Amino acid sequence: MAKETLTEVITVANSGEADVKKSRSALPWIADNGIFIFTALLLLFAAVFVDGFASLANITDVFHRAAPIGIVAAGMTFVVISGNYLDLSVVAQVATSAVIMLAVSNLYGVPIAMLAALGAAMMYALVNGIAVGYFKANAVIVTLSTTYIGVGVLRFFSGGSIFFGPEDGPIRAFGASKLGPIPYSAIVLIIVTILLAFVLNRTNFGFVVRSFGSNESATRLGGVNTGLVIIGAFFVTALAAMVAGWVLAAFSNTAVSSMSTGYDFQALAAIIVGGTSVFGGKGSVFRTLLGVIFVSVLTNVLVISNISFGYQQVALGVLIVVAVTVDALSRKVGKR
Amino acid sequence: MSQTQTIQIGQRETTFFGKLRLKIARRTEGRAVILLAVVLIVVSLTEPLVFTAYQVSLGRIALIGLVALGLTAVILMGELDLSVASTLAVSGVVMALIPDVRLGVVVALGVGLLIGLINGFFVAVVGINSFIATLGMLFALRGLAFILSDEAPVRIVDTDAGIAFGLALIGPLTPRVLIFILAFVVLQIFVSRVKAGREFFAVGGNRQAAYDAGIPVKRRIFTGFMISGFVASLAGVINTLERTAADPRAGLTVLLASFAAAIIGGNYLKGGRGSIVGTLIGATALGVLQVAFTLSGVQVPVQEIFIGLILLLAVTTDPANLRAVLGSIRSVLQGRLKFQS
Repeated sequence: MAKETLTEVITVANSGEADVKKSRSALPWIADNGIFIFTALLLLFAAVFVDGFASLANITDVFHRAAPIGIVAAGMTFVVISGNYLDLSVVAQVATSAVIMLAVSNLYGVPIAMLAALGAAMMYALVNGIAVGYFKANAVIVTLSTTYIGVGVLRFFSGGSIFFGPEDGPIRAFGASKLGPIPYSAIVLIIVTILLAFVLNRTNFGFVVRSFGSNESATRLGGVNTGLVIIGAFFVTALAAMVAGWVLAAFSNTAVSSMSTGYDFQALAAIIVGGTSVFGGKGSVFRTLLGVIFVSVLTNVLVISNISFGYQQVALGVLIVVAVTVDALSRKVGKR
Repeated sequence: MSQTQTIQIGQRETTFFGKLRLKIARRTEGRAVILLAVVLIVVSLTEPLVFTAYQVSLGRIALIGLVALGLTAVILMGELDLSVASTLAVSGVVMALIPDVRLGVVVALGVGLLIGLINGFFVAVVGINSFIATLGMLFALRGLAFILSDEAPVRIVDTDAGIAFGLALIGPLTPRVLIFILAFVVLQIFVSRVKAGREFFAVGGNRQAAYDAGIPVKRRIFTGFMISGFVASLAGVINTLERTAADPRAGLTVLLASFAAAIIGGNYLKGGRGSIVGTLIGATALGVLQVAFTLSGVQVPVQEIFIGLILLLAVTTDPANLRAVLGSIRSVLQGRLKFQS
């Protein structure tokens, strides 16, 4: 009963959204469906023109590198949809989880390590969520500061050293296993995506996250504890970053505090390119998966074509700006 | 002929203390002053060397403060420029690549203005949120700095000019500090005395109202981003000259400290409230703190934790944030009471 009234309130409040679909311009259509075409074109281009892309070893490598970024991006989609821009602290979260996984499991075994990583993830979610949800502080600045605090704490306790897992341990076994050409980590990515898509589309929590992103005050007036919703969104991100840290640790069987540099940015690129709006309220986890494929293939093509790191960063930065521009312009067109 | 009507809002304070109280209540620098007082007391007890080696401290304050001053101009309008760190790196590299120092400085400053122009275009014309637009620019420009420099520090050709730049010019003041003071004075006058600068507050406070009042909002946003781009490239040029080399990785630690300085200086992130003086006080506190850390041999990770904590505190203890917390606590309590009765 309560859920239905809430649905009505928010549907009425958001009825302006319907106008967007009436517009005749091509931009909203590109913002919505462009990613399907661009991904297909990119894959086609890579397969035909780039030497060494369409080999089995390379495809497996793409999967390996896409998996942790994709898991992070799937979780971060929640924060983006809730209208809080992004969670920069995933960089620190992934590294923390990976280092805890290897360092603690060497001493106390894998289950304890998992619990410790969960504890760290909850800390991040609470600090970020309370600061953004209850203090109404800016998410970019809050997560920027928690990134530095988190990396600082990690480097202080680890002394900046690299942790290695045992060669015959369960972590190594998981990281090396494959199902045909698909490594287990990619399967984890798909499971996480399906799970989070279910949470976002079919549960009460996911509904409230989406409604908060599209109309904050309507959601609050509908009787939702909006602070808790924000904490929840950051918690989903933290859990995903934790799993991504495990996958990353298993893949390389080493962990160091700087291993996830650039994840915040690649995940954000994937989310935005996938068509999730940075203005909040619109997007899906499956779209993010598509965006991850696009970004990973693009990065892979740049890497195997021997294009330097600088150009890769420029490409990703321009990609984000272009994707956001298309999104913003399509909204403007829709409003007219 | 024409009749002037004065509208009196609130009571006019007539006594001296009443006026003083009103003046203090209008200021926004409270938190920065508290932080500075705490830092100064703790540092003077534990590491008085900071004051003996005041040249080092002044240099550090100027480094953080210069970038923070540019940020303030943008924050006053409720926008944010995350790309300053990369602007600093790119303009430094550009300057080092050009053999002639004078031409290099001019081109580097031009690059800063151009970056500000691009940021302003995306924010004012396209209508992208400045957090996301400048984040994209942050990474794209860092990539550009890597490309231009081949991922290694670039030495400047005319090292003598760089060494001369590091020497004290007037008394104990190096050119870096003098430029910082000049930038502070110019921006302070611009924001508090010039019409265009005062309109920054209006744009930040209520953009629609500013637009309706005939303020050229888009042009002001362009101006703000160009100020922050120019000032960041100025910091990049100074860094490059003093170190006689440009590092494409430069700027990331400055980014955090300068944000902390600007925000704790009372500049409200949603715009409309703040002051250049507050930024100066915040930068002073953070600069002294950083030098004290370095002199007493505190590990780098611990320094990062402290600066991160100060930024987190700065962004959560703004009066508006505290009001939000009180509001949500009150609404939760009221909900409970209603539920029980």
